[in-house]
Amino acid sequence: MSMDPDKSALMEADLVRMARQGDLASFEELVARHRDKIYARAYSMMRNEEEALDLSQDAWVKGWQRLAQFQGDSSFITWMTRIVINLCLDQLRKHKRQRAESIEAMEEDGGVERQMPVIHPNPTAGLERVELRERIDRALAQLSHEHRTVLVLHEFEELEYKEIAKRMKCSIGTVMSRLFYARRRMASLLAGLRREGSE
Amino acid sequence: MKHDFELKVQAWLDGELPDREARRMGELIAHDSEAAALAAELGCVRQAMFRQEAACPLGDSREFYWSKIQRQIQREAGVRPADGLPWYARWRRYMGPLAGAAALACVLLLAVVRAGSPSFDEISSTGDGMEAVTFHDQSAQMTVVWLQDKSAAAEDQPAPKIIRYEDEPGTVIELE
Repeated sequence: MSMDPDKSALMEADLVRMARQGDLASFEELVARHRDKIYARAYSMMRNEEEALDLSQDAWVKGWQRLAQFQGDSSFITWMTRIVINLCLDQLRKHKRQRAESIEAMEEDGGVERQMPVIHPNPTAGLERVELRERIDRALAQLSHEHRTVLVLHEFEELEYKEIAKRMKCSIGTVMSRLFYARRRMASLLAGLRREGSE
Repeated sequence: MKHDFELKVQAWLDGELPDREARRMGELIAHDSEAAALAAELGCVRQAMFRQEAACPLGDSREFYWSKIQRQIQREAGVRPADGLPWYARWRRYMGPLAGAAALACVLLLAVVRAGSPSFDEISSTGDGMEAVTFHDQSAQMTVVWLQDKSAAAEDQPAPKIIRYEDEPGTVIELE
């Protein structure tokens, strides 16, 4: 349902331009168009509906306040996605500070993933798209915040190692290491889910 | 397999290696079954996840979702985004309240100045049988009060009683 039929017919660039001039109704139309995507990104990183909802709404408030900084180098949704990712990363850092350091160190080293045999054959072969999505979602939920975040940024946001390191405020080596263990764990989890499904 | 080599296999897969090193890694992986198996596993996960983010639609209605954003925007920054306005528009926003405050300050200042200096030079007040005349001389900072008893009993006394007050507090001089 659209709140303003005149706005719903407008191009995104026009809505952004009008919002930059202070038109809140245009900004509301942008929120309506992209709210699912922004929420989905927050949810994939936080795995908590309430937190994802709050962070996605905070991201829109920040987006409004920083509209002048949006130069149009990327699409509006890409720009907004970066804002919500940064908010999620800040939130995850807060969580991290609250966790015991021993657990954190274990996750950083990759734990059991290093000892795991290579998964063969492809654990996702032959799955329907919907089922594949569902299994990936279930497997992602079982990863640590650090491993999930690096996977989301690399596989869903398609960011390079350098960019991920910048956003996560860590070294490129840490990104590579986290990504490696995250993928190995995903392979193991997907294979496990496949076995469960076939039983 | 060394961990550094495992990470290089992954970097090769992700296209993060420079061209020359990528070619060399490609050849190494082609001749190393263990490295090839690892590359295949990492590649499967990468391929499986590519654009496979689960759809996650919001449960809240458009109006409900927006209402919180709108409240926060209006509470934190006002309706217009301050950063997006030119400098004169930002100044104009503050000009109204500033002009009002300046006008109020002027009115108060005038009122204080007027209250500080008496606006009379001479006041006459008459009671029952008694007449009083007050004169204030600002240059001399002096107030003079004439009191004259006009009652029948006092008709025989021709001279009025004069009291002179200096404006400095605490100094009162009585004259007859």
